[in-house]
Amino acid sequence: MAASVSDASLLAVADLEVRYGPVAALRGVSLEVGAGEMVAVVGPNGAGKSSLMLAIAGAVPAQAGRIAFRGASIRGASLEDIVRRGIALVPEGRHIFGSLTVEENLRLGITVRADRRAGEADLEAALRTFPILGERRRQPAGRLSGGEQQQLAIARALLGRPALLLLDEPSLGLAPAIIDQVYGLLGTIRAQGVAILVVEQNAARALAAADRTYVLNAGLVRLAGTRAELIGNPAFDAAYFGVAMSGGAAAP
Amino acid sequence: MNAFAQYAVDTVSVGGLYALTALGIGLIFGVMRLINFAHGELITAVGYGLLLLSGAALPVAMAGSLAIAVLLALAMERVAFRPLRGADPETLLIASFAVSFFLQKTLALTVGARAKGIDFLPRLGEPITILGLRLQTLQLVTILTSAVLLAALSWFLARTRWGLEMRAAAENFQMARLLGVRANRVIAVAFALSGVLAAAVAFLFVAQSGTLTPRMSLELVVIAFVGTAIGGLGSLVGAAVGGFLVGAASVILQTVLPPDLRAFREAFAFALVILVLLVRPQGLFPARGLKERV
Amino acid sequence: MRTAALRRLWPLAALLLLILAIALAASLAPVVIQRRVVEVFILLIAVVALYVFAGNSGVLSFGNVSFMAVGAYVSALLTMKPTAKAVFLPGLPTFLKAAEWPTVAAALAGGAVAAAFGLVVGVPLMRLSGIAASIATFAVLSITYVVLGNWTSVTGGQNSLFGLPIYADLWAVLPWALVTVAAAFLYQETRSGLMLRASREDEIAAEASGIDVHRQRLYAFVLSAFFSGIAGVLYGHFLGVLRVESFYLDMTFLVVAMLVIGGMRSLLGAVLGALVLSLITELLRQLESGVALGGITVAAPAGLGDAVLALAMLLIILFRPQGIAAGRELAWPFGRGARPIASDKASGGEIR
Repeated sequence: MAASVSDASLLAVADLEVRYGPVAALRGVSLEVGAGEMVAVVGPNGAGKSSLMLAIAGAVPAQAGRIAFRGASIRGASLEDIVRRGIALVPEGRHIFGSLTVEENLRLGITVRADRRAGEADLEAALRTFPILGERRRQPAGRLSGGEQQQLAIARALLGRPALLLLDEPSLGLAPAIIDQVYGLLGTIRAQGVAILVVEQNAARALAAADRTYVLNAGLVRLAGTRAELIGNPAFDAAYFGVAMSGGAAAP
Repeated sequence: MNAFAQYAVDTVSVGGLYALTALGIGLIFGVMRLINFAHGELITAVGYGLLLLSGAALPVAMAGSLAIAVLLALAMERVAFRPLRGADPETLLIASFAVSFFLQKTLALTVGARAKGIDFLPRLGEPITILGLRLQTLQLVTILTSAVLLAALSWFLARTRWGLEMRAAAENFQMARLLGVRANRVIAVAFALSGVLAAAVAFLFVAQSGTLTPRMSLELVVIAFVGTAIGGLGSLVGAAVGGFLVGAASVILQTVLPPDLRAFREAFAFALVILVLLVRPQGLFPARGLKERV
Repeated sequence: MRTAALRRLWPLAALLLLILAIALAASLAPVVIQRRVVEVFILLIAVVALYVFAGNSGVLSFGNVSFMAVGAYVSALLTMKPTAKAVFLPGLPTFLKAAEWPTVAAALAGGAVAAAFGLVVGVPLMRLSGIAASIATFAVLSITYVVLGNWTSVTGGQNSLFGLPIYADLWAVLPWALVTVAAAFLYQETRSGLMLRASREDEIAAEASGIDVHRQRLYAFVLSAFFSGIAGVLYGHFLGVLRVESFYLDMTFLVVAMLVIGGMRSLLGAVLGALVLSLITELLRQLESGVALGGITVAAPAGLGDAVLALAMLLIILFRPQGIAAGRELAWPFGRGARPIASDKASGGEIR
């Protein structure tokens, strides 16, 4: 059941603007993620999805708007602080440290844990939960396949015990069977109470998995709704594939 | 056989010194993509520190000079390089050039540009015989110090938490931060370590040359820098190997070149650098993720 | 139309007038001041020469001073009296020993050899970008320094080379300064210069548009080498003596600092950098020799000028990295109102 959108949301983004010099990536985006929810943001290439994730995580500055996590404003906070508050980003392309071993990659995930011993225990648990990672714990992470790297990136992010997991294009470059695995994993994570905000070009998959979905196009939210509201909705295609520069408020 | 062994010792000793210098430069480049020309000034500062503290007991003088190097390194990071974090490499290059010259000229201003003699660990100049080889004690100490420091640094990077954070930051700084690694701390540690390495190099260098000038580290740094470039910017192994190779090459060229070409050996070394850059611009042991950014 | 052409040439004209004005003012001043101004002009040529390449390509070259050295020594060898050469450079090949060329020809030869050297070096090096390019040019500087410093038969090696005819006074250097600035300006207005500047912003996009970046860089590099060579020539004939040491790191730092502080991206920046910094270092130099303040002589310690220069460069990098000129050229000061086609109604001057 979708959490109601209210002030009690875990993450609340309002009128967010992100510009890179003269180029506007986000032109006033608002969205919310409730505790334990899985929310998807879909849209074509260049819609601003990555900018959204990077802005929430604190990796790029936002020029205007609000980002609130658990009620407190985090816009302008540093990356290191934001991840300590409970938001973990798995960026596009996964970015595991290829020259470090699998185990070392995971160990970096517990950097933010106050209780290091508990973190180490969780690390061992993760190596059991993800058998492939456990098998290859001492191998350089660069040797893993795409799907395995995705597992590693997610496992690593989870070791920080985030309340909100941000995933930028987790299915990129992966075979359909592997994508199934990844989304299965996301389901399990969600069942454990971690909220998930996932950004995808692969709209169908995200739409099916998420409680609610926002359609982003050319820096603005064009359409938003629950799974039931959006699947089969003709407005969806228009929002997703719509002409870029029409500017204007989100469609109903 | 003995002559060959002699050359080998010379080569390894000089190579080791340059490897240590190159490591100091490579460490910083790894985490910040900054080529710290001012690393030479750290070495020079230690030298003058030894002079300043020459009245004190030896361990005190050495510890004090070491502290000077570390503090100066941290200061230069805080004042000059932190504001430029994330700037493009050309700007960083010019900035480190400027810092280097500023420190050099300020030093010349305060202590004078003329050479000063210093008597540091004169006993190291004495010969020592090991396994039938007659070498300078200093050479032995240099080789041992280089080996020990290299091993210690490797251990630090491979086995400690800070070392892990540094390696991660060197491969992909932004991603490391996204996992909570504190950028300021990692960089500060890198600079502090480079200060320690600079101090070691200074001790060895000053013991050998016995003189101090504001520009004494110039040649050392230029060669080490070149070695780092050849070895592969961003890779610590590359820096050490590159520094060693260039140092070794200068010794080998000295031996191998016909006498009238010997003075040109540095030119050959630099020509080699250009060649390497043309063939493999990222160096012989390129660092993984030199281009990667989130 | 004429106004448009004037407007386009204004940045150049203004700079040329400025240089002329300085020269005229100096000609009325005591000889000591004149000599200082000559030095400034020589540095100006060197900085503008570096700008021709670095400013247009975005690649900072540390090697231009080596072209200065080449130009200086070539001109020296061609103009020194054979008797002097016999004394200082006994190992010189015969044709050089006997050579005694007129000064302008020797200067052109110096520039030409420097340009040729630039060509030889540039063909491989211009493929590199970014840090690799800067490192490689630094290697060129070092190689030149080592080679010239040890080629005793031709350069005197580590010894100073005396006996250069001292002809570089104000009126000899002024035309070269004007020519250099004009050449730099005209180059950046040509299609070639514009193509190079396009690659400065985005190398990949430029290549994709069909610009041969390697070739454009090479042109600029060779042009830059020529004028650096000229600067070297004049430097030698100003001092009358050459030392290899003067064409190494200190000179490189000075020239680079002037360009960076003035602003690497415009000709105005190069000129301003040279002029402003020379002024400051000159003032500091006066301070170093002592200033009488009501009976007491206050003197700054030697080397203050260098330290201040380094500090200035650092501050500029930190607070105004684009330099003083910030990439701008001198603007036409008379506003946009004066247009030949009469339409004083709309502010844009639309033609009805």
